[in-house]
Amino acid sequence: MNKLNRTVTALGVALLFTTSIMLVGCSSKPDEAQMKQLADLKSEVDALQKEITSKEGEKAAFEKEVAEKTAKLKKVADDMAVVKQRLANK
Amino acid sequence: MKFHWSVTLMLAALLVFSFGLATAQEMNKEQWQQEVDKYTQQRNELSDKIKSLNSSIESMKSQSGKLDGDYTKAMDELYGLVGSDATKAGEFRKQVEYSENAANDLMRLSDADLIARETEVNDLENKVRGLWSDKLSLVPEFWDRLTAVNEKIASLKTTLANQIKTYTVGTWQRDRDCLWNISKKKDIYDNAWLWPKIWQGNRDQIKDPDVIKTGWKLKIPKGNELSAEEKTAAKKYYSKKAVVVGQ
Repeated sequence: MNKLNRTVTALGVALLFTTSIMLVGCSSKPDEAQMKQLADLKSEVDALQKEITSKEGEKAAFEKEVAEKTAKLKKVADDMAVVKQRLANK
Repeated sequence: MKFHWSVTLMLAALLVFSFGLATAQEMNKEQWQQEVDKYTQQRNELSDKIKSLNSSIESMKSQSGKLDGDYTKAMDELYGLVGSDATKAGEFRKQVEYSENAANDLMRLSDADLIARETEVNDLENKVRGLWSDKLSLVPEFWDRLTAVNEKIASLKTTLANQIKTYTVGTWQRDRDCLWNISKKKDIYDNAWLWPKIWQGNRDQIKDPDVIKTGWKLKIPKGNELSAEEKTAAKKYYSKKAVVVGQ
């Protein structure tokens, strides 16, 4: 009985060991070139995100500039109306 | 027997742990593909966003340039309304700025210093009056600035009007103070012939212009020439003196 137990245990351990080795060894892994491709892709995404931040800043500055110039132009139009009025009252 | 089971269990746990560790640390091909897909999609989205941003920026650049042109044209039209142009307006702006600075300088003076520079206030007033006569003053930019200068000049004139300059008579021995000499002083009239102004301005104290007493506080009336009344008083004084000298 004792001998049978020992044999079953030994077999169980051997089976577990073999299964684990097969599971780890047999799953396919990406090679070095593929890992590099992934790393390059990540760097490219990072660079693009940085570029977007910079472009958004540039866009905001232009938006501000255009708004200021539009306001200035509107003020000139208002000034013209005032000058016409003053000339009429002179 | 117990020992045997313990060893077996430990081995099994070790194996499971090693397997878990191995799978957690290393990426399999399927996961790699998922990552590649995810980043490729992100890259494409970001590239599209940059294209869209570039397009917006270009559009705004061109809009900004157009606004510059429109502004110059509108300003030319504005100056044209008053028969002027940008160059003349630039010159006019300089003169307005000069007046503003002059008014600000005068506003900073103490009352005593302001009295000494009264003529500058008058000069400034005349200069600003001249600027108002130019049609460019109708342009709001200049109108508002000149209005502000006018307000400062009015304030300066009020300050001057409220000032009564006084002079305390010193001793003859030390100061040689008589109306003639006081009037001659640089900070009084700088003109001895204006002495009757002091006499007439202080009739309450001065009964005889030849007699003034040490310690009297004399009011110094404003002006750089004699009024009609002062001239009459001076003539009477000189006639009286001539009679006295003739006798």
